[in-house]
Amino acid sequence: MIFTIAFKELKERLREGRFRVMAIVMIALLAVAVMISNNYYQWVNRQHTEARENARSVWVSQDAKNPHSAAHYGTYAFKPKYPLSLIDQGIDKYAGVSIYLEGHTRNEARYMAAQDQAAISRFGDLTPDFVLLFIIPLFIILTGFDAFTSERESGTLRLLKSQGVSSVTLAAGKWLGLFAAVLLIIVPVFILSIYFLSKAKDFGEFNAGVLALLFLFYLAYYAVFSNLTLIVSAWAKKSGISLVVLLAVWMVACLGMPKAASRFAESISPYPTQSQFMAAVAEDERNGLDGHDPFSTQAKKLEEETLKKYGVDSLHKLPFNWDGYLMQRGEEHTAEIFDKHYGQLKTIHENQANVYRLASVLSPYLPARFLSMALCRTDYTAHAHFSDAAEKYRLALMDNLNTHFAENSKYGDWAYKADKSFYAGIPDFSYEPKSYGDIIHANLGGIGVLLAWLAVSALLVVWSVRKMNIL
Amino acid sequence: MFFHYVKYEGLQLIRNRWAVVLLIVFVVLCLFAVSNGTGKVTLRKAETETAVNTMREADEVHKAKIDSLEKGLLSLEDDGWRRRLNYIGNRAPRVAVMPPASLAFLATGQSDLYPHTMKAYLYVNIETYAASFTELSNPVQLMFGSFDLAFVLIYLLPLLVLAFSYNLLSEEKEQGLLRLTLAQPVSLYGWLFNKMLLRFFLMTAIVWGSLIVALLVAGVSWSFGILPLLGLVTLYIFFWFAVALIVNVFGKTSGTNAVAVISVWTVLVLLLPAVISQLANNLYPVPSRVNMIHEMRTAKAEAEKEANKILASYYRDHPELAQQDTTVKNQYQFYLGYFASQDVVKKSVAPVLEEYREKSEAQKQFVESFRFVSPALLLQHALNDIAGTSSRHYEAYKNRVIAFTEEWRAWFLPRMFNNELMSSSDFEKLPSFEYNYDEVASSFAADFVALLVFAVLLTGISVWVYRKEGLEPVLTS
Repeated sequence: MIFTIAFKELKERLREGRFRVMAIVMIALLAVAVMISNNYYQWVNRQHTEARENARSVWVSQDAKNPHSAAHYGTYAFKPKYPLSLIDQGIDKYAGVSIYLEGHTRNEARYMAAQDQAAISRFGDLTPDFVLLFIIPLFIILTGFDAFTSERESGTLRLLKSQGVSSVTLAAGKWLGLFAAVLLIIVPVFILSIYFLSKAKDFGEFNAGVLALLFLFYLAYYAVFSNLTLIVSAWAKKSGISLVVLLAVWMVACLGMPKAASRFAESISPYPTQSQFMAAVAEDERNGLDGHDPFSTQAKKLEEETLKKYGVDSLHKLPFNWDGYLMQRGEEHTAEIFDKHYGQLKTIHENQANVYRLASVLSPYLPARFLSMALCRTDYTAHAHFSDAAEKYRLALMDNLNTHFAENSKYGDWAYKADKSFYAGIPDFSYEPKSYGDIIHANLGGIGVLLAWLAVSALLVVWSVRKMNIL
Repeated sequence: MFFHYVKYEGLQLIRNRWAVVLLIVFVVLCLFAVSNGTGKVTLRKAETETAVNTMREADEVHKAKIDSLEKGLLSLEDDGWRRRLNYIGNRAPRVAVMPPASLAFLATGQSDLYPHTMKAYLYVNIETYAASFTELSNPVQLMFGSFDLAFVLIYLLPLLVLAFSYNLLSEEKEQGLLRLTLAQPVSLYGWLFNKMLLRFFLMTAIVWGSLIVALLVAGVSWSFGILPLLGLVTLYIFFWFAVALIVNVFGKTSGTNAVAVISVWTVLVLLLPAVISQLANNLYPVPSRVNMIHEMRTAKAEAEKEANKILASYYRDHPELAQQDTTVKNQYQFYLGYFASQDVVKKSVAPVLEEYREKSEAQKQFVESFRFVSPALLLQHALNDIAGTSSRHYEAYKNRVIAFTEEWRAWFLPRMFNNELMSSSDFEKLPSFEYNYDEVASSFAADFVALLVFAVLLTGISVWVYRKEGLEPVLTS
């Protein structure tokens, strides 16, 4: 019986002009979005590969120069783009793509794409995640809002009930019919993505298991929206009202809640502005970490200790270049300061993430959004992971330069030049993203919330259909 | 007869729960949105004020110190103070502030992407300075966007209008009242149009009222400045009523109408903007910043090779900077050499930056010209424009700050070349930064007219559809 109902639902839909138009539009939109994203992905990756090679060759081909000049000259780290960004671009547009690695300071990732785009782009871009997260739920609503109301309006619900169909069977049948329509649209699109992703292998690893998991998350998300649609349709008196209510639900879940949550997140744990952040860093540099022991006093103490340790009375007599040594200690000191302030930024982000987690209870869009970004490695965690790796490399690089300077020159010899081979010998920046195991582990909470949405909404469907007024 | 209809409809609307619910919902939405907007503006003001005050306090300290030095009350314990022009130019940077426009609370626009406080130093690394016009923020927030008045007006208002009007005709038909109405000597279209017009006036009153209440509660000081806002919103409301009117005159059922109006909303507010934005990225791609970095680095590497031998040739190019009193050695010698070499680097890097800036601007303008395809885009553009938070406002700020760093440098450079000292009275003469909103040409008129054209056009289309469909389908179906 369940399948009879489901089959009837699907057949009816397929015969309907409205549904056919919508389905064709959906498939076309998604296919275009996947193709465009694929082009974009290839374009960005070509650029980044080229940029990485260029940055390295510029570094390697430096003329003989003082290592500290090289530290100021610096180099760049470029954030890679991952194959699954084909499905979800996440925050990529709002995060910088390159980090300038230089002496004395930790720089933020710069050049976010959003700044180079017109304000129109704030409406969103036609990317697969835009269609998958916003448009398909709307499609579900537009397809299923009259699942019960139309039967009630035409009086067939009474007929159906008189046949002895149980509420659960009826709900399950309707649900399957609706969900089959969704599958009809997203299965081809995921197959198309698999095709592109398997071709994109040269640009990075592609993990079929992760794509499958992503697909399951989206299915769960759509199942929740199918449930919500049936619940409202069971309660609404008229089709028009059912649609208006469902639209309000969609609006709150997909647009209102994320924005409102951002506002509360910002008022609970606000981000500093760039100038406040820089001022706080400068304050610590001037007065020492947490207001005591600034580097200038530390340096004096260090000088005395070192002289004593080597049993000499002047910096000239030390077996190494004191300037290089002191600079390295200074670098370590500022690294600590930056570490503290970037740590605070992370704490703020974590506090804000908790607000979004809390809001997930009111919006199924939020857990789906965060899970999708996380698996596609386009969320904040992925960005921060890269930024930390770049900082680690920067510190190693500076250590290399300063130690070389200290060990190969005399105190006060600022004219010392390290030759080309030294720069070429410094290892290149290489980056390994977080493993999928870690990513999934970190997102278990989100998975739980999404599953809870699924379970609770399913129970509500059964309950609503039981209570439903058949007249 | 006509008067009776208006009176009856009006009474019914007022007694109907819909109007009350709408009013409450809209007031709450506006209050929340306006409080978000004013909250951001307050923070922005506080931040810029702190920055300016910190600068002023530092100025006073420096001034007092220089004064004491001049009067011989203090001795020079620090070399930096001997070369105090250099010290002040770099350690007492000018704060360049972009204060919020009076209606900034309306639309966050691009204001969450850019900083509003920058500093102009004597030594600016052009390679990184231009890139530092980026605000520190949670990218997740940027992605979700703000719950500001612009969001309420652009996205939510149309849905409220459509929920209020999708079944104007169909409901009457479904309740069987239509036949009764048509038995009276009225034209169906005229009757329908009046019904819509009445709702339009009611909706406009609700929206205006909510906006004014929200502004009063938020304590926004407002004036005739909000008239453009009210004008835009009124046209936007009319446009969406006209959409509902067209859907209604097809004479389909309420359910079908609801699907139709929501589809139109989805296309105009969600899909078209996304498609345009994506098309623009592909047809007219923003030049790769990553490539720009490489070009900049290559130019810099070349320039640095030259830079070290150039102070001599610098004097050849700038005879006006040569020191007047040639009997003493210039105490700023080291810095002057640095300036000269920086100039060479800047000269080679700046064209690369400029080229990319121009390309990016061209792309933005190209994309913005597409706003005329959807009233949602027009309203967004116009709101950012009157809120002073559009891309163009920030582009102007950025250019102005970069120009100001040159001004700042130009004040110190001749003095340093002439081996002068900074005196306490010089503080009054230092250049100061001012951002002027009037420098950015407003496109309000174009957006307003375009919205008006949309409203008129759609009303015209509704008449055309009505004539084409005729009365028959409505009555016989």
